[in-house]
Amino acid sequence: MGVLRVEDLRLYFKTKKGPVQAVDGVSFELKSRALVIVGESGCGKTSLARAILRLLPRNVHTYTGRVFLNGVDVMELSEERFQQEVRWTKIALVPQAAMNSLNPVIKVGDQVAEPLIMRGMEKENALKRVRDASELVGLPLDFLNRYPFELSGGMRQRAIIAMALAAKPTLIILDEPTSALDVLTQANIMNVLKRIKSEVNFILITHDIAISSELADEAAVMYAGQVVELCKAGDFYNKPLHPYSNKLMASVPTLHGEKKLDFIPGQPPSLINPPKGCRFAPRCSLRFERCKEEPPLVEAEEGHFVKCWLNA
Amino acid sequence: MQDEKLLVVKDIHTWFELRRWGFFHAGFVRAVDGVDFEIRRGEAVAIVGESGCGKTTLARTILGLCSPISGEVFFDGKRLEASKMRWYRSQVGYVQQDPYGALPSFMNVHRILEEPIRINGVWRKAEGRKRIRKALEEVKLTPVEEYLPKFPHMLSGGEQQRVVIARAIILKPKLLVADEPVSMLDASVRVEILELLRELQRIHNLAVIYITHDLSTVRYFSERIFIMYGAKLVEKAEVKELLYNPLHPYTKALLAAIPDPDPENVSKFREVPPGEPPSLLNPPPGCRFHPRCHAFINGLCDVEEPPELEPKEMHFVACWLYQ
Repeated sequence: MGVLRVEDLRLYFKTKKGPVQAVDGVSFELKSRALVIVGESGCGKTSLARAILRLLPRNVHTYTGRVFLNGVDVMELSEERFQQEVRWTKIALVPQAAMNSLNPVIKVGDQVAEPLIMRGMEKENALKRVRDASELVGLPLDFLNRYPFELSGGMRQRAIIAMALAAKPTLIILDEPTSALDVLTQANIMNVLKRIKSEVNFILITHDIAISSELADEAAVMYAGQVVELCKAGDFYNKPLHPYSNKLMASVPTLHGEKKLDFIPGQPPSLINPPKGCRFAPRCSLRFERCKEEPPLVEAEEGHFVKCWLNA
Repeated sequence: MQDEKLLVVKDIHTWFELRRWGFFHAGFVRAVDGVDFEIRRGEAVAIVGESGCGKTTLARTILGLCSPISGEVFFDGKRLEASKMRWYRSQVGYVQQDPYGALPSFMNVHRILEEPIRINGVWRKAEGRKRIRKALEEVKLTPVEEYLPKFPHMLSGGEQQRVVIARAIILKPKLLVADEPVSMLDASVRVEILELLRELQRIHNLAVIYITHDLSTVRYFSERIFIMYGAKLVEKAEVKELLYNPLHPYTKALLAAIPDPDPENVSKFREVPPGEPPSLLNPPPGCRFHPRCHAFINGLCDVEEPPELEPKEMHFVACWLYQ
């Protein structure tokens, strides 16, 4: 059984125009070391991370579903217990552009240790753990005594990953960990993540398919708040089944090989009034009569789930 | 007889002065430090570099938005100086990085596109309307009537970028400078915008300078690539030549760091040169890449700056290895 199982998770936000269905009935199970969630901006992938960690804004309309961590339903826990037992201790989050969110007037090492001390660990032990974690991510130890502005973007990102690792969680959710970094720094951070993959499970959220292939054991594709394809990494990169995944793959430029690029006409739908039936149907070149009904997420091949009538 | 070369940039240096307490001189940030190149008519050229290497300053210098402390820019055979700026700006279009920031939020599409043609002396309304229509059709924002009264916030990111492009081409420029035109857009829209730029380039025989940090989109877009590192151009070559036979150690490292979507990547570690890009306030002596370079020659690379060499025809590289 997997470390994390999510069942029918829904997160809607209240707005003046009506509820925004940011996460709409997402189910998956983390069976391997690393799952990547890919999708365009606005498809609900960051909201999914927040829903798993129960980091909710004030304007929540609906928040339902079940999240099992090592077989325990954490949605049942009270907020205090969730904070003490799950958030950051079992599931850590590296949010988007996190390296810019370090406090400028506190030394990096103290900030990395802070979540541990806050949860009642003694300072000595906490700092020792921080040093271990820093070594793991390749952050030189003397950097812990510096202030964030003295570190480059890549080093700050390492500090944030060390912060997540120091708590020894079972799962780290990485939300676009490299999107603000340069190519070489990005490759460096991906090397770090590959190295620590033996210690911890990952959920990597990204819009960059090329980067996602660096870490993925399994892949999930999100479109308009729903998971439309879920499969092993090899299947996803070599023969995706959903028309959206296919188009997405075709739009990725590659360095080598003479691939003709393709794009998806139209725009992602509004999540306030998503199209009835299949949400990708209005942009899909393969749509037919049946797409007016919503397709279920079915197992088309072994371990390869697709939400499309073509494979039902 | 028209000159083949549209833009000639000769040894330009754009430095920014740093002052302490507002008046003590504290040094220069050498954002562009000795850049030479030529662009032919109708040619698309990509300038690739990491953030902080000076590529945006180079673009701004070419556009005449920053004045270089030394060096010259020639456009269409004429030397660029303050008195020619008005004429020059009507010949050059600029596509900004962030489309929403580049469009005034209080103007609708019609006014945004009207402004440049008014300023450049097209006063007859009918003529203006015709040109606006044509520009919008060229960037495929149709039906035109639907888009004219819209304000920028009513458009999606891709549509905003199209308006920015329409504004850049409405004066029929000869050169288009596009500074990371697609970095704020989603992958599926990116290709659409790049194809649009490519098409416009072909139709109007536009020269395009495409500035980006993303080497993987370049091959679909340009004929030549310039690689910029530490305020200098370190390698210049045609696209295929550069992608398949990179010469400069920095270019090689850059190419090795970019993944293609492939499930095999999971088990591979990428080789990355150690260290960080140089500070432009105090650049290292000699070759600027030498502290990170694996092929570093002691006593040469850290002392003397490498000249621009041409080991193969039309393939220029600033590296001592090829002497």
